[in-house]
Amino acid sequence: MAETTAAPLPLEIAGMRKRFGALEVLKGIDLQARKGDVISIIGSSGSGKSTFLRCINLLETPDAGEVRVHGELIRMRRRAGGQEPASAAQLRRIRTKLSMVFQSFNLWSHMTVLDNVAVPPQQVLGKSRAEAVKAAEALLQRVGMYERRHYYPSQISGGQQQRAAIARALAMAPEVMLFDEPTSALDPELVGEVLKVMASLAEEGRTMLVVTHEMGFAREVSSQVMFLHQGSVEEFGPPASVFAAPKSDRLKQFISRSF
Amino acid sequence: MDPFWSYGLMIAGGAGWTLALIIAVIPVGIVLGLLGAAAKLSSWRLLRFLAESYTTFIRAMPELLVIFLVFFGGARAFNWLLAGIGFPEIQIDFNPFVAGVIALGVVQGAFATEVFRAALLAVPVGQTEAAQACGFTRWQTFRFVTLPQVWRLALPGLGNLLQILIKDTALISVVGLADIMRNAQIAAGATKQPFTFLLLAAAVYLLFTTVATAVMMLLERRANHAWRRA
Repeated sequence: MAETTAAPLPLEIAGMRKRFGALEVLKGIDLQARKGDVISIIGSSGSGKSTFLRCINLLETPDAGEVRVHGELIRMRRRAGGQEPASAAQLRRIRTKLSMVFQSFNLWSHMTVLDNVAVPPQQVLGKSRAEAVKAAEALLQRVGMYERRHYYPSQISGGQQQRAAIARALAMAPEVMLFDEPTSALDPELVGEVLKVMASLAEEGRTMLVVTHEMGFAREVSSQVMFLHQGSVEEFGPPASVFAAPKSDRLKQFISRSF
Repeated sequence: MDPFWSYGLMIAGGAGWTLALIIAVIPVGIVLGLLGAAAKLSSWRLLRFLAESYTTFIRAMPELLVIFLVFFGGARAFNWLLAGIGFPEIQIDFNPFVAGVIALGVVQGAFATEVFRAALLAVPVGQTEAAQACGFTRWQTFRFVTLPQVWRLALPGLGNLLQILIKDTALISVVGLADIMRNAQIAAGATKQPFTFLLLAAAVYLLFTTVATAVMMLLERRANHAWRRA
């Protein structure tokens, strides 16, 4: 990255490594996300892209590497067989700036759509109930789920659940949004409504990391594309160059199989 | 007064003790069960070992034996402990009711540990991950996400334990609690009409278990609210 700006980057990752037993899933990955970047992370299954995303907010503990959110390093300490977060309080605070959207939505099934969006800001950010509900209703309006705010997750479609989950992620007013294959569990006819919401978030300048199999989204919406192969970054760049002029053979193969 | 009515009244009085015992044991069993399950799933080996020993030991023993151990040995052990920490002048005695609450609570807790452990394992991992990703503390995750879902999954198993508890209270009659069972036996012996009073006792137990079933159904309906189709 050539530019030198004074403001710290929303997200910086350096040398991230992760191993599951004998298998090295991430072999030292670097990533810098500038404000407003929409970075699509693509690659065949087993390439480590979901693990990479889950290591950023420490749902998985990486074996090595540094994560900085808005310049603040997530502090880690050594322990037998690896490392662990040094401060639970710091990790929680940083996690609120890195909200995540999951492949299987993970809305809390005992709460209504509205509570799913309103409860985290109440509990974690200390907002009042009235304030949290008001903000949640506005966000649900934005993702087209306001009319269904009193439904439970089991009573709505996958696409609706995912849109509500995006509203829940937005409610934390995050610095960066992490999307872990957000459309992979959806019926084909429901994929569009979720991608549309995500495209509108990209348009308003949100910083997003999106692990995806949707090559159309990666090509049209993202500002950067990261191609992972066997735990390493094989290619990185704007979609125009990555898709139109792939350099590595593996990326060429991957693209020819994906379109 | 006709002996049927006077002894009947005595059994009704016993039903009060039985009911009091049930109500006192339920929270003890639930709290011990939750703690036991949390300990069994803990990453701390000592806690796992303690919980495993607790359930293995208690579930291996007949309830009657646990009751005797608590009633005859419990107070003595307690006094010995009190003396050990410097209060030899305090001497307590377990009455049958207190011994019953402790013994049945410990037994219920051991079985409830397994019910809650199964329920905790049945909550999908994604539910707690979503809470962590939002920055919830471990306590908040437990309180707002895990517990409401565990409760629903544990209810059928807890209902089963409640039925067993209702009947196990009769065992406390052997250490002298004037419950339904003991008073029915006294009435049966004094009037030489065993069937009249034993059947009356049976009817009261049936009433208790029926009400318990109805209560459990209500609780399950409430807990399953979010999983019903609109």
